Amino acid sequence: MWSRRSMKPELKRRLKSKEAVLFLIFVVIFVFMSILSPTRFLSLYNLQSMAYQLPEFGILALSMMIVIITGGINLSVTYTATLAMIIGGFAMSHMFAGGSSAGLSVLVGIILMLAGSLACGAFNGYVIAYIGVTPMLATLGAMTFFEGISLQVTRGGAISGFPIEFIKIGNTAVLGIPVPMIIFLFVLATVYLFLERSRMGATLYMIGSNPKVTRYSGINVRKNLFITYLIASLLAGIAGILMASRYNSAKESYGSSYLLQAVSAAVLGGTSIAGGEGKVIGTVIAVLIIQVISSGLNIIGLNRYLTNVVMGLILIVVLTINFLTREKQFRNN
Amino acid sequence: MKTKLLKIKELPIILILIVISIIISVANPAFMTLENFLDILKSNLVLAIMSMGMLMVMLTGGIDVSVSSVITAVAVITGYSLMHWSSNLLFTILVAVLSGTVMGLFNGLLIAKLKIPPIVATLGTMSVILGLVLYITNGTWMTGIPEKFIDFGRKKLITFPTGDGKALGIPIQFLFLLVAVLATWFILRKTVIGRGIYAIGGNRDSAERMGFKPDRIIIFVYAFEGFLIGLAAVAHTSIMRQVDPNAFLGFEMQVIAAVVLGGASVLGGYGSILGTLIGVSLFCVINNGLILMHIPTFWQKIVVGLIIIGSISIDMTQKKRTERNKTRVDVE
Repeated sequence: MWSRRSMKPELKRRLKSKEAVLFLIFVVIFVFMSILSPTRFLSLYNLQSMAYQLPEFGILALSMMIVIITGGINLSVTYTATLAMIIGGFAMSHMFAGGSSAGLSVLVGIILMLAGSLACGAFNGYVIAYIGVTPMLATLGAMTFFEGISLQVTRGGAISGFPIEFIKIGNTAVLGIPVPMIIFLFVLATVYLFLERSRMGATLYMIGSNPKVTRYSGINVRKNLFITYLIASLLAGIAGILMASRYNSAKESYGSSYLLQAVSAAVLGGTSIAGGEGKVIGTVIAVLIIQVISSGLNIIGLNRYLTNVVMGLILIVVLTINFLTREKQFRNN
Repeated sequence: MKTKLLKIKELPIILILIVISIIISVANPAFMTLENFLDILKSNLVLAIMSMGMLMVMLTGGIDVSVSSVITAVAVITGYSLMHWSSNLLFTILVAVLSGTVMGLFNGLLIAKLKIPPIVATLGTMSVILGLVLYITNGTWMTGIPEKFIDFGRKKLITFPTGDGKALGIPIQFLFLLVAVLATWFILRKTVIGRGIYAIGGNRDSAERMGFKPDRIIIFVYAFEGFLIGLAAVAHTSIMRQVDPNAFLGFEMQVIAAVVLGGASVLGGYGSILGTLIGVSLFCVINNGLILMHIPTFWQKIVVGLIIIGSISIDMTQKKRTERNKTRVDVE
């Protein structure tokens, strides 16, 4: 039906791309899970609960990806999210308890959450772009710092007592589509347009592949890097809002397992850890893969420690396949 | 003399260490006591041993986030070997060192042969190894280490008599640290591999053209790191007298932070043993000092985070200044 000759070269190239291979892996895993547990994995309940869980992780992965593209990394991403949700949540629950209307407290809470995440981003951005500290170290320190501030506010406990209107954000669906998913799709589209269709996005790729040359070609690398960390942290703040709303509380340790998973998702999706390379669609497919595996293995009742083993193995295997295909192409050329 | 002293690369961090030590001892005189120093030494030996391996990895431009899961795995294997195979000390060390080296070798092969970026490869091995260990042990503590081994762990190298009849001493585990430091020093300073480590960290392509074999050197570095983790695991088990599979959660960040505080560059090619040891000391002194100064635990993380960022920033501005001076000379 589809003879090789009739395929247009463009289509052929696309089908051979990293993203296509990744999507194929996703389909295989999805089918595999469905066969393993047809009644429960394919149930509406499971599909919906995946759709509620995926957005916060997906947004964190996109945030991580933007930073990695510039040649950096953000180890403080989950603590940015939790510090933001704690600052906003603290104000929101106090205002609400103090007699302010639910609408006003939610509004102030969300604004403070976004502002808090921007403040974290400004801190990281300043240290990295203007002082010149390597991203891994700057964010390593920031991670401990943000965790400390969060603990200082919460005293190790969780902040709760949010208005029901806030909790609805993460727990309702419009026309059957969960609100977090709608927010995720919106964020996804924005990040795509920003990274792959805007002038500044192109600049970030340039910075990632060679910061020195980028600077000599007249681009303000420092300013661009600073803005990168602002944007990435804002995304973390949005993920924080979703988490706080879904869990109905704010705590410094929420989502801490997402840190390494976010790096994995970006890298699995084809983002080069050295910077300068990576596509939004790749990261999204990787996020889908990780979500399907963790939900699927959870449903078939695999020990949760073994789930980690499987995740690690998949990361290694996919990267090995990447290496082998690259090697083959190299040899053919 | 004065200029020579100022040229020591580690000077800024030494000064920071001195200033912080003075602040702590003013706040609490108990800091400047032999007992406290021996305490710091004993509780941070493992960190110091592991920082030597991490230093070598970072010199090649790599990083290893799997160290905490590797030491957990080695400690569990060591504990099992002690309880079920033999409580012979040499045999125990051999088992630990071998299992550590094998795991390190695996990392090295992934990184050198399959060209997987170090942070990603070790991320993968971390979740595989830790997942397996927690699955097998179910996260529970292993107790019942043989008395013979515990007695070994209680030994002191040198004892100092104290006024109240108690004797303080340098713990026997200090020997492990000594071996780790000397071995690292020997490899880095006295062997061709050591030159190669600095060379590929500085510029991989030029190193290759000079005749170094980057793949082999990288595999060696990760295997050696695994070897050191084996030593660290024996030291840890003999100090703690039990194995807790959750004892090292997040420990990799501490090791990396200590090495980096010591002035090693994450980009590779830059870093020294002296610097790393001072970095580890700084890290330990801060942690110890915060407790001695009765700073609430919630503040401790804030202070540690700020000190990490602060001292690296100071270091960075220092480097920038020297670089600027260099170019000025060139222009003239």
